[in-house]
Amino acid sequence: MVETDVPEFKEYAIEEFLVRSEPYYRSVGDEENLFTAAYHQHIPVLLKGPTGCGKTRFVEYMAWKLGRPLTVIRDEQSPQGAPRQEMREGEVRVPLVTIACHEDLTASDLVGRYLLDAEGTRWIDGPMTRAVKNGAILYLDEVVEARKDTTVLIHPLTDHRRILPVEKTGSIIEADDRFLLCISYNPGYQSALKDLKHSTRQRFISIEFNYPPREIEAEIVERESGCTAEDADSLAKLGEKIRNLQEHGLQEGASTRLLIYAGRLISEGIPARRACQVAIVWTLTDEPELQRSIEEVVSSIFE
Amino acid sequence: MSTAPLPEIETELSKLPSAVLEAYQEASGAISTAFGEEELALWAREGIAIGTQTVRSWESAVEYYRVGPQVARFLSFPSFMQWARCGTYLAQDSPTLAVAFFKASATIVPNLRPQYIPRWAGLGRSLYKGTWKSSTLAAKFFEVSPDLVRNLPFWDVEVFASLIEAMSYKSYDVAGECLVLGRDVLPAMGREREAFLSMSRALIDNSWREVKTCLELVPRALQQVDDSQTGRFLKLGERLAKTGLRDTSRFLADGTQALGRVPQGSQGYILDLSETLLAASPDSVPHFLRSLNDVLGRITINQLDTWFRHGLELLKENPESGIAFFKVESNTSVSMLDTLSSSLELDRVKGIIKLYCSALSGSSIEVLDTQELVRKNIGWIDEDSASTDGTKVFLPPVVDHYPSKQDNFAWFKVVSTHQVGHLEFGSFDYDFQKPSGLFDDRRLQLEEEVLARRSAPMLADPQEMEPGPGQSLTDIGRFLNLFENRRLAFDIFTVLEDCRLDFRINVEYPGIRRAAKRVQDEALSNRPNITEMALQEALVELLIHMSLEQFTDLPVPVEYEEVAVVLARVLHQLRTAAATVEDTAEATLRAYEIITRVPNETQTEDQWEPEDLEEPGDFSEEEYEDLLERLQANMDASAEGGEGDPYDSPDPVDYRGDFKPEMVQLLTMLQSDQGMDGEGEPISKEMLEQMLQESAELELDAEQGDITNSMSMFAQNLMKEAGTPPPNSEPGQGYGPLLHDDDQGGELEAREPKTYAYDEWDFRAGDYKPRWCIVKEKNVEEGDLTFYNDSLRNYMALSNHIKRQFELIMPESFRKIYRLIDGEDIDLNAAIEAWADLRMQVPPDDKIYWHRNRARRDVAVVFLLDMSASTAEAIDEGRQVVDDRDAPDDPVEYMVWLRRRREGLVRRNYKRIIDLEKESTSLLIQALESIGDTYGIYGFSGYGRENVEFYVIKDIAEGFGDKIKRRIDKITPLHATRMGAAIRHAITKLENQDATTKILFLISDGRPQDRGYSREGVEKEYAVHDTHMALLEAKRQDIVPFCLTVDKAGHDYLKSMCGDMGYEVLGDIWALPERLPMLYRKLTI
Repeated sequence: MVETDVPEFKEYAIEEFLVRSEPYYRSVGDEENLFTAAYHQHIPVLLKGPTGCGKTRFVEYMAWKLGRPLTVIRDEQSPQGAPRQEMREGEVRVPLVTIACHEDLTASDLVGRYLLDAEGTRWIDGPMTRAVKNGAILYLDEVVEARKDTTVLIHPLTDHRRILPVEKTGSIIEADDRFLLCISYNPGYQSALKDLKHSTRQRFISIEFNYPPREIEAEIVERESGCTAEDADSLAKLGEKIRNLQEHGLQEGASTRLLIYAGRLISEGIPARRACQVAIVWTLTDEPELQRSIEEVVSSIFE
Repeated sequence: MSTAPLPEIETELSKLPSAVLEAYQEASGAISTAFGEEELALWAREGIAIGTQTVRSWESAVEYYRVGPQVARFLSFPSFMQWARCGTYLAQDSPTLAVAFFKASATIVPNLRPQYIPRWAGLGRSLYKGTWKSSTLAAKFFEVSPDLVRNLPFWDVEVFASLIEAMSYKSYDVAGECLVLGRDVLPAMGREREAFLSMSRALIDNSWREVKTCLELVPRALQQVDDSQTGRFLKLGERLAKTGLRDTSRFLADGTQALGRVPQGSQGYILDLSETLLAASPDSVPHFLRSLNDVLGRITINQLDTWFRHGLELLKENPESGIAFFKVESNTSVSMLDTLSSSLELDRVKGIIKLYCSALSGSSIEVLDTQELVRKNIGWIDEDSASTDGTKVFLPPVVDHYPSKQDNFAWFKVVSTHQVGHLEFGSFDYDFQKPSGLFDDRRLQLEEEVLARRSAPMLADPQEMEPGPGQSLTDIGRFLNLFENRRLAFDIFTVLEDCRLDFRINVEYPGIRRAAKRVQDEALSNRPNITEMALQEALVELLIHMSLEQFTDLPVPVEYEEVAVVLARVLHQLRTAAATVEDTAEATLRAYEIITRVPNETQTEDQWEPEDLEEPGDFSEEEYEDLLERLQANMDASAEGGEGDPYDSPDPVDYRGDFKPEMVQLLTMLQSDQGMDGEGEPISKEMLEQMLQESAELELDAEQGDITNSMSMFAQNLMKEAGTPPPNSEPGQGYGPLLHDDDQGGELEAREPKTYAYDEWDFRAGDYKPRWCIVKEKNVEEGDLTFYNDSLRNYMALSNHIKRQFELIMPESFRKIYRLIDGEDIDLNAAIEAWADLRMQVPPDDKIYWHRNRARRDVAVVFLLDMSASTAEAIDEGRQVVDDRDAPDDPVEYMVWLRRRREGLVRRNYKRIIDLEKESTSLLIQALESIGDTYGIYGFSGYGRENVEFYVIKDIAEGFGDKIKRRIDKITPLHATRMGAAIRHAITKLENQDATTKILFLISDGRPQDRGYSREGVEKEYAVHDTHMALLEAKRQDIVPFCLTVDKAGHDYLKSMCGDMGYEVLGDIWALPERLPMLYRKLTI
């Protein structure tokens, strides 16, 4: 753990980031149980779902939940500022290593590489290696974006072997017992070219996420944005209506995240219609007709 | 050659001033090369003749000799002499004229045909009237004529000259000025010159001064008008001038300015209007054109028609006010413009409203004009009220209730929200069995009672025999069957349901509360006076008032105050967000029972008293029962007094439109019925007819005899609308022996060359039908090159853009290649590894460089174009969807049907889907050629499984050339679309290609369909499944399939057809030429 002098941010070594305070997560189905079961059974998890529906939040929540001391009472919240990273009694260390995948993410970015150093070269573990060694939940976000070779890398990690061969150092790392690989994937409805290979896909159990039903979503929006229950309800209604347009030229429906953003703007005193316009309408589409249609829905729902 | 053969001539000449002889001598040397001796003599003598005409004609002779050699070069001797003679005559009249004539000759002769010379001279001569001024004018004419002749056809010169002559009678000065102006202006004109000249000609009589101004104005003015329209415009000017219009120049200036500002392509239309106006009143034309700019600033060109027509009517009645109208100086005109400018056409906001409705309802909603619903003839007859049939929302074509566009849009919104509300809040989901949440359920009990009563023998009169409720087709019908007076029950149901919806919408969509309130208030102000109505009607009207949120100051019959209160309570019960359509039904039941127990009689003025019913208190079943009993007793007591007047329906509330739940349920039922694969008893036409006759939703003014007919027609249309086969084509009838080819029959054999047999996937069996289709490969005929070239030209800008985009792909494909022995720079990773290896005393790898290498693009693609008959559909032709499903089954009939359909489209001047497909192909080819991918383009169609046609437009191995361009021209809509087989054949084309990326690009306009492939019910699924399977097969071959469809309904089936393979539904077909290459680009990077 590295503690900095500057109070504005906190810096952790990647494998030491523990989700300490309970992230807000409202579970809709049995996903918590499924994930917990998979975790105990060492089955990698694939989270499917549209953007902003809570996949990442779910993983954070699970990392927190799985690491939470089973016997200890709710923590008394450390005085603000320094995160308390020292272990508490009964707590299991379940660090969360999140890697956002992108097109140029190579295998060595994940595994590690040699770096030059005064005395010559020094091996630096990549985030995946660290996660494997430390028994973290490794969360590869938007895994389809990564290069094909990286997806192959995870194969030995995700079957019964649970090993990470590090070619360059000529070693094999057996994963810590607590290690779990979790990837997320947004099937999209039109992804022509990006798709997970079946050999990869079939190493995971898949939990499908979708936007929560209206009542739950309203609850989430209210909780996360701090707007009034009435506004939250309207926002959830709006989200539902906009998602109806998904088959009419809208690539993706309004995510819960966007609804929350709109809710936050509203709770800051921005007029509701305007908040929805900037947070939702303009974000979702550039097509004038579609924008206008969504705005009409907004102006019907909000006064 | 000797120059002095004719000494006597010289002697003659010497008698004239010496300049003549000098000129002669000078010229004779040059001219002798052209003429023989005799001819020379004649030439010389003519000079003498000229010189001796009058005292001053020697000057002409000098000029004659001087230009002689130049003229001689272009004319044969007879023509030359003719020319000379012309000069002579001119000299006779005026030497000045002759001088000018000769002077001009040198430059004019090369451009003027010899036979025109005398006419030309004559033109000049005609301007000469013996006065000094006229001679100057004539001379000026000769002076400018070389320019004129060089640039204008001679007859135009003649016309112009005669114009000048006519002007010269008025003023020589002005004529002279016009002459010069004409020289500058006329040559620049094109075809409009003739029209201009004749217009000018028409001006001479009344306002000759205008000619000059027109000449000055015309070059700039006409720039504003489309080339194709200038002629018409000037013609209009001419006709106006003939009718005595004085300030034509003003007309010219204003008119062209007005035309210059109208939207492109509509100048012809404006001229049409102007001509119409001209026939009615010429005076109004200039005013019309002058105010056109202002008018078009306020209304669109489409609305112009309405305004114009109105003006025209006025004009016929009273010319004065008509002209004021067109000047926009009359109130009528201004207010009409106000209305029009604020009115909103559905077409302009259709897209937005469609999406809005789809968002609200959660299902795909079509927005259509009410006229279309009426046209379908399935029971809706009112063109002005909005409605819905469950999947479509019908709205009136134009709204002009309010003075601003925004308000009118808000009206659309309120109305469509109400219509969608029927869907969103379940008006059509009425279920007879479902209990009501707000009332005690009485429906089932009532049904039993009714059934018992009706089966009782005492109701002997067969006229009044009503069908039992059990026979009703729909739940709503079953419900309405409970009541003796269906009409009344239905009216009450409508009011209460609308009330429930309006309240619910108010709660759910607070944003439109204000607009809705206004619409309601307006509706209220239009309601008839309750106190003048018969009691039953008055009570229904009372309900309507309350449903429109009027609760205070309601007139209530004193005698029946309690009735009103209980009705208000029933209505209030529905004013909660939890109310459902079943609650409405229960409420209806109660309201009906109450109202029918009130005599339908008119009350006098003093029997009414205003009352507030805002908080009538809670509804209680006991009180209701109590009331009923008392009413019943009342009725029984006054039984002998009769029942009062027959009940009459109230006026509908405009904005709520037509509510036809029974029809909608019926349509939905018919639609789902056909999907059930014939299970259960299908609805027969007779059942339908009967139901329709009972329905309270149909209002028919027609006579009784007609009703039966229209019922039968409605029934037929309804079934068609729902997609059920019309009864006369029931399976088992009319099928020829050919039928066995479809479902029976077995494998097919590909015997002829270039035919191939393919399997077809039968999803019901979960297996392939072996060798089920025969694909015949044919080349498309070669047509004309122009189509290809034209499309490239028409899409010049786009084509350039696409090309640039494609060229950009090239740098994108530069890739860094690492671990090379040599390269641009050191590959850090490799170098470090090598270094580490060295340290570890391991032999290092020497490949430590990277290099940017041009990755070879290695793409092979096959485009499959849908050439089915439906691609012949006009784009945006009011959505008259050609439905392949009503194609006859019998192959012979099918062909007839097809031919008829295609013939109808022969005389077309609109664009068809296939045209856009072709244009896009042209653009794509150009782009593909620029990056050098391997590609093949094929079309497919066919009829039946034994005849799947696969058309080669460009074979994958074929080079590109004029041949291909010609073939594109000949791509035409043909028959059906059996996609699966075509895809399978396309796969074989790609299979043998040795490329890393292989793409199969399918462009279609609708679902796959063919005889025995895509008919109603499950068969529809069959085609989709087979296509899906074919696409999967492609994928298995490492081919990336991609489907692009221009069918807006594509989302319905593409998802199941393409599965996780890529597809796109093009909402706007016009975007196809742009989208296709872009998609391709995206797919292959």
